[in-house]
This record gives sequence, structure tokens and C-alpha cells, in this order.
Amino acid sequence: MDKCIACGLCAEKCPKKVSDRYNADLIKRKAIYVEYDQAVPLKYGIDPTNCIKLTKDKCGNCAKVCPTGAIEYDQKEKDVKLSVGSVVLATGFKPFDPKVFDTYQYSKFPNVVTALEFERILSASGPTKGHLVTRSDDHVEPKKIAWFQCIGSRDMNKCDNGHCSSVCCMYATKEAIMAKEHNGDELDCAIFYMDMRTPGKEFEAYYENAKKKGIRYVKSRIHTINPVPGSDSLEVRYVTETGQIDTEIFDMIVLSIGLEASSDSIALAKKLDIDLTRSNFAKTTSFDPVSTSRPGIYVCGAFQGPKDIPESIVDASAAAAAAGESIASARNTLTKKAEEIVETNVRGERPRIGVFVCSCGTNIAGTVDVAKVAEYAKTLPYVEFVTNNLFSCSQDTQDKISEIIKEKSLNRVVVAACTPKTHEGLFQETLLAAGLNKYLFELANIRNQNSWVHKNEPEVATEKAKDIVRMAIAKVALFQPLEEAELQVNQTAMVLGGGISGMSTALSLSKQGYKTHVVERSDFLGGQAVKLFQTAKGESIQAKLAELVSEVNSDSNITVHLNTNLTDVQGFVGNFESTLTTGGSAQTLKHGVAIMATGAYPYQPVEYSYGKDPRIVTSQELDKKFIENDPAIKDLKSAVFIQCVGSRNSERPYCSRLCCTHSIDNAIELKKRNPDMNIYVLYRDIRSYGEREYLFREARELGVIFIRHSLDSLPQLSIDGGKIMIKTMDHVLHRPLEIEADLVSLATAILPYRDETVAQFFKLPMNDNGFFVERHAKLGPSEFATDGVFLCGMAHYPKPIDEAVSQAKAAASRAITLLARETIHTSGQVASVNTALCSSCGVCVSVCPYSAPSFIEEGRDAGKAKINPVLCKGCGLCVGSCRSGAINHRGFDTDQIFAQLFTLNEAV
Amino acid sequence: MKNLMEHMGVEPGRLQFSWISSAEATKFVDVVKQVTEKVKELGPNEKFIKKTVKVA
Amino acid sequence: MADFEPKIVSFLCNWCSYGAADLAGVGRAQYPANVRVVRIPCTGRMSAKFFLAALREGADAVWVSG
Repeated sequence: MDKCIACGLCAEKCPKKVSDRYNADLIKRKAIYVEYDQAVPLKYGIDPTNCIKLTKDKCGNCAKVCPTGAIEYDQKEKDVKLSVGSVVLATGFKPFDPKVFDTYQYSKFPNVVTALEFERILSASGPTKGHLVTRSDDHVEPKKIAWFQCIGSRDMNKCDNGHCSSVCCMYATKEAIMAKEHNGDELDCAIFYMDMRTPGKEFEAYYENAKKKGIRYVKSRIHTINPVPGSDSLEVRYVTETGQIDTEIFDMIVLSIGLEASSDSIALAKKLDIDLTRSNFAKTTSFDPVSTSRPGIYVCGAFQGPKDIPESIVDASAAAAAAGESIASARNTLTKKAEEIVETNVRGERPRIGVFVCSCGTNIAGTVDVAKVAEYAKTLPYVEFVTNNLFSCSQDTQDKISEIIKEKSLNRVVVAACTPKTHEGLFQETLLAAGLNKYLFELANIRNQNSWVHKNEPEVATEKAKDIVRMAIAKVALFQPLEEAELQVNQTAMVLGGGISGMSTALSLSKQGYKTHVVERSDFLGGQAVKLFQTAKGESIQAKLAELVSEVNSDSNITVHLNTNLTDVQGFVGNFESTLTTGGSAQTLKHGVAIMATGAYPYQPVEYSYGKDPRIVTSQELDKKFIENDPAIKDLKSAVFIQCVGSRNSERPYCSRLCCTHSIDNAIELKKRNPDMNIYVLYRDIRSYGEREYLFREARELGVIFIRHSLDSLPQLSIDGGKIMIKTMDHVLHRPLEIEADLVSLATAILPYRDETVAQFFKLPMNDNGFFVERHAKLGPSEFATDGVFLCGMAHYPKPIDEAVSQAKAAASRAITLLARETIHTSGQVASVNTALCSSCGVCVSVCPYSAPSFIEEGRDAGKAKINPVLCKGCGLCVGSCRSGAINHRGFDTDQIFAQLFTLNEAV
Repeated sequence: MKNLMEHMGVEPGRLQFSWISSAEATKFVDVVKQVTEKVKELGPNEKFIKKTVKVA
Repeated sequence: MADFEPKIVSFLCNWCSYGAADLAGVGRAQYPANVRVVRIPCTGRMSAKFFLAALREGADAVWVSG
């Protein structure tokens, strides 16, 4: 594998074609292949079940053509024994296979595809290069596409998957939007669903937007598809909401297949002796959401339960934290220290440039005349040494380059080879080994952006290679050695908020050896959880909360500051100085990282006569009755739950995520305490995602009645002669219905605190709804764009306890990636201000997304800008915006870019 | 920036903008082709070229 | 004018289009060789000065891609 340079010759010459699983078997690949273009590492591998050499001992083409001798047919699977303290299972899920359903005729009709196949069809790198066409032989553009939801989910009838797969409503919506983007607005997209489940952050807005774009949502489950004679289109019969039977013809049907645990994962779980849930996902508890039933074994991602990318990423960081907590004492016991090489000072020297032109086997040399390029490079100014290497990235060539740098006293290096995105770091190491500052290097990309893409025009490619090399040489000549700022990281953490999230993150940090301060504005720990009864898994919240509080209070690494507000923050990543004010007295806390766990609170409704009658309560108030074992529950004859009170409306256009499950759970509890009670849940969409779906099923089985309404026909509540009467439309009978209720439980929206002061202190963005905006919605859910500041719990978005604890651990995990380093080295390629030219206009201060520039406060240059190299990400926005040309950009400086441009057209 | 160019007498087609994510190789290729075609139609640029006389 | 081969300077964002260009190479896509790439850390780095300089140096067009 070390020898493979991913030139692709082997696959070109391989005679065996195999169905390409990555492209959902829609096209063929070779028996020697890379799974997909972006694969890391980019190395070819042999598919042993299909290779003719391995199965029949014939062929052997790939070994013959491989220029580096990377192919060994006798490689065998090896058993490797590892001794570890923690194990993390991240084995993912298996997409449901719809072949078992004869209703949908997936195997029979070409235009019935799975959502995964459709995903590949939409992809620019997919089998149709992103052209959305039907699977019939004529490959025409479809005019009408239907999505069928819940295929292999929420179905105990035809398959055994009682759970909701959580992600399909969103992906179907996304695919429909993308399909319209591909093929124009005339494309008719219809999504046939049971409940639209878009309870994630920004998901509801996405769904509303899709409706505005004309995507049709039809609430119906489809049971019959018939072929249209003489075509590959399909006729769909369904029952509309008004009870009529309708038929429509579609050109394509996409099955929104669900997520299930793979048989491999189930087998692994048996081998490891860990418990599984009803749907065969790894069993966890709400307060330890990434720990399996066996100590030391952790789980994250879709094997813990079906979930979307952000929750998987949160889980992943959380599992890393949990795995680290139990083996914290072993941290840094197996690390080795790298040998330090003294850097030669080349400042002020005339540039002596070494140019290494790489052949990359035949990858470059096959198209570009590398000898000519090398000859040409010799004629350019400041070039002292030029050579051609077969493979510049091989270890022996690296050593050779390093020797040559020393021998010829080179002080700038250009390697003309592949892309800096993959190989810049490697060659920078070579420079370091030769005692040269690593920023005195430039890669001329004559492979990915030249020889590979102009294969049929060798002469043009050679000329282009010369241009690229010349521009690189002109640039590197102006390079200066750059210093990387070093910064000590204060080893203390500050957690803002003492709810379940804040306490969990503090405990995780403490267990890994870090001093943590929990700052809580109220006079108690526990946040909203002090009012909650039980989790969706049936755990008593009060019992667990008491344990958590006492654990925090007795932890010697944790200091709790109650009745305390944050009144000022100075400094930046690694070195924050916060002022904590308790009562009238202020104290300063120095800390390296900060974690926002500020939580959220329930909306106090004005709807449904709330506050006018003690029988009308919120979900939290009903919990209180359960906690206090209110005996009156036994005498109630009927209860009505009303969902989405203050959520999913124009004022708060987001879904509060947890209220459906909360109400269902409470409805079941009422039924358990009083089986004779009539219970109604008035809802818009039931969003019991994941295995919470089993609760929804249980509630229906217990006789809880679910009645749907829409935003424009909300239930009407009146209090008439001491009776609470609720009017709503029965969605099955299409008749108005009147219910008398002894108890009304309102599932109210969850509101963010929208704390502008705290946001200002750390320069944290908030979305329109007032929740904090994370670094990246999918890939960075537990941290901010501001370095050293992290995020967890309901301050991010409403979420149940298991997800809050998971994100709390995730935030701790992300924070520890900084704390564990003790010192931070920043990139040398940052912006800096020449104060002599600075006009103090402040443009740089306002444009920077990372708050790196600020005004100098005192001294000779007071009022002018300075840039903190620690916070600078080197984007260059300020450099381009500076009106005075006062900002230099090390490594991408204006004169360096000009140098590239000036040598653009130099006569050869 | 486009306005500036027009003001200075440069055809707007000589400055092209696009947004391509790092995974969209196909789109990159399409845009390269489009840009090249458009510029071919415009013909060689004759404005703002360095005024130095080339020694034959 | 048919055989006119323009020289186009492209300023590519290191994180976006530059990556796409590399990937096009990995996929061995073939495209015209008229483009010369200047890698910039972000399109925010772009400045009118670069556009003018490119034209001045004989480029027929400038393409900025993020």
C-alpha cells in the first residue's frame, strides 16, 4: 500500500468488470479499484472475490503494468492483537432492502429505485454524471417523481422494523428539492408520507421552504403500483385525506428506505456480549447515551439508533470523551518525542532555489516532457539546482531531497508534482529535516491540474507545466521564513450553565483531569430537569439528577458558582479572563476554554385559556403531578393533550423536537395510573423519531386516541359552566368532534434565552429563533467558529436528555482536543498589519469572521489595527478589503501573487 | 468589481465568477469549458496590456 | 479567430474550487488547457489589483471561483 501512487494504470488494464456497489450497482467498475474519487488514502485495492488472478490464477495484468511494484497477490488477512482500555463501536447501519416487498415491485420495474440509488443518480460523480434521467432504456428526463416514505420503517407488518428511521423525511425533501434544481421547476415532485418528521435544527424551515417550491406532500401510505402498458411509467393508487381513491402516473418512484442494524453489527454485539434494543441497535441509557451495557465498550452513530449526521458527529465526540474518561490516567504514556532539528537562518540571503520535477511514474512523464520542463527551469532566475525524480514522495527521494538542500545550501524549494492539498505537508517535513523553514516551499501542481487533465495534448501540457513551474519559482523567490506563534493554553475550563448539559460536560472534563468551573445564574443545579418526571426509556429523572448533582458537588476538580452571572470576558482561546459576579461581588476567572450550556425554557402559553383554569396545565406541570404522585389522577375521566403549542407557527417556525414523545410518554403514564381514562392527543405530525416510535405504538395499543389537525384548523377550547370543552375536526370521519376534558396538557414550545450579552462576550452568532449557531450544522455541532468556545444542550436546539448528555460529553471532548495540547502552534500563513500604513478605518475589524483584528488601545500606534495571529485563519478577507494596503498576508502576499502574474506570459 | 471593469472599458465577460464545492469535480470541468468558450468568443484582450514594446 | 487560444488566469479558493480541480484530475476528466491557476486561501483574498495585473500581463480573462 505504501508503494501505490494511485496512477490508475492497473484499473485501466484490468479486464474484469464488476457491478459498482458505491454507485448503487448502477454502473460497473473494475476488480481492482478505488471505492470513490475522494477516498482516503487514495490507494487501489483488489476485490478478491472477482479478481481473475486470485480466483482462477489467470491474468496478472495489474502487476505487469504497475510502475511501482505495489501489487502483491499473496497478501492475506492478518490477525492483529491489540491491548486497549476502551472500545468504541461505530459500525453504522444497513440500508433496508426493499426486495422483500412485492407491493413496490422494486426488482421488477426499472423506474422504482431506492433513495440511495436516487442519491447516486443526482450526484455529479455518479453513474449519470448528475443528469437526472429515468432508468428505462431511453433514459429520458422524468416529468413526475414520487417518493414513498417509511419503506422498512414504522412497519411491524411486512418487516420487523418498528422504529422510525429518523432521517428519511428530510432526505426525501432534500432529494425532491435537488431534483427540481436539476430538471427545472416543471418537474412534479410528490412525497407520500405518514407523518412529516423534521424535528432537527433548521429542518422545519427547510420543509416549509420545500412546500413553497411546489413539492407536494400527500399524507397517504401506498399499497398498489401498476405498470402503465407500453411504457416504463407507473400508476399509483392511493387514498386521499378526504377518503377518496385517486390514481396518478409517475415516471419514477423513489423508495425512502429506512435504516436498520446490520447483521454484522448484531453478530459483533453477541460476540462482545452487549445488550441490544428491540430493533437490534446497541442498548444505552439516557444518562449514559454512548455506553453499552458492558463497561469499557462505547457506541456512537447509527448503531446506537437511527440518526442524522449532526447527532452522529455529536455521538462520535461523546464516545471519544467516554472512552477517554475511563482511561484518563494512561494519557500520553505511549507518545514519542520527535527529534528537533535546528533551523538554519536564511533571512537576507539571495534566493537559491531548488526545483524538483516529478515524473510520478508515468502519471506526469506520460504526458508532460519532464526533461524539457527541468531544462527550462534551469534557465530561470535564482534557480541553483534542478533535477527530475521518478517518485518525489517516496521515502528515499525525500531523504535525497533533504541531502541536496543541505549540500547545495538551497534556501527555497519548488517541487513540481501533485497537489499541495495532499502533499504540501509531506514536503514541508522534508524541508524541516534539512533545517529549512517549512514555509520556504511551493508545490507546482503539474499532475492533478495538468498532466491528468490534458492527456491528449502533451505539447500543450508541457507548455502549461513550464508556466506553472515558472509562476511557482517567481512566487517562492519572494517567500520569507515564517514563524508560528506559540501560545500556552490555560488548563481550566469554564462551563456556563448548571443544567444536565453543563453538569455532564463538567464531569467529563473533570474525569479527564481538568479543573472546571460551573457558572449557574440560579440558586440550584439541575436546570429544567428538576421539573421532569421520566425519560422516554422510563428512567426516573429525579433519581438520576440527584446522583448527578451530588457527584458534581463532591468532585474536587469542579467548582460550582451559584447565583452567578458572567459580566465581562477578555482574551481569546487558551487565555480567557472572565469576570463572575455573585451578588454584588466580582471575581476574575482565568480559563483556556469556555462551554456554553445555557439551556432553554418552556413557553408560557396564552393559548387554550392557560392560566384560567387549574385543569389546563403544561407538560412540565403534568410531570410535577406525577412526581408528587397526585392522587387526583385516579379520578379523572378524560385527558386531552394538545401538541405544538407555540411551536411550528409563524412566530416560532421551528419544531421543539421533544414534545411529541413527552406527551405520548405522559399519556401512557396516565393510562398506567388510571386505565379507564379516555385520552386524546391532538397533533399535527407525531414526531416520535427513532425507537421512540415504539412508545407511539404502545400508546395506541393502550387505547390513546390520536387526532390530527393542521395549523389553519387548530382545536378550539372553551370553558362552559365548569366544563372544559375542546372542539376539533376528526381527520378520519371528517366531522367536527367535541371532547370534554378533566385535564388538558399543553405541549409548549421550547424557547432559547437569547442572551445577547454572553453572545457578544465571545462573539457567538445566534439564528433567527435565538439558538446559538454552531461552527458547522453537520460536522461541527458542538463548537463555535470562535476558537476555544464550545456548545452543548438546549442552547444549541431543543433536545431530550440522552441527546443533551451526548452533546455535553461531545463539547468536553472537543474542548480537550485544545486543553490536551497545552500549547497551540498557529499557522505561519497569517495576516499582519503594517501600522505605518494603517488608516484606522476599521474595515478589517468588521469583516473578519474570526474576530482576529482589533484596535491597538495604547501606545504610539493607538487606534490602529493589529491582528492576533492565534485567531487568524489566513483567509485573506481583511487583506483584500484593506483600503490602505496596510495588511500583509504571509505566504500569499500581494507581491507574491503579483510575481505569479508577472511571469504569466514571459517569453519562453 | 464588475462595475469597475465596465467603467474602465473592459468587457464584463473577461471577469467570471463561480462557486464550486471541493467535491464538485464535474461542475469544475463544466465551468472551465464554459469560461474558455466565452472568452474565445470575446477574442483576445486588447486593453490594459503592458505598453512596453516587444523587441522582435 | 477560430484557432485563438485564450490565456485565462483563475483564482481558485484553496478549500473549494482548488479541491474540485484536484478531484477533476483524480477522475481524469479532460478539459481545455487555457487556464493558469493561482491558488488563493479564500476568494475574500481577491482584489481588483490582481484582475488588472493579470490583464496587463496579457491574460485574456480572469476567472475567480470559490
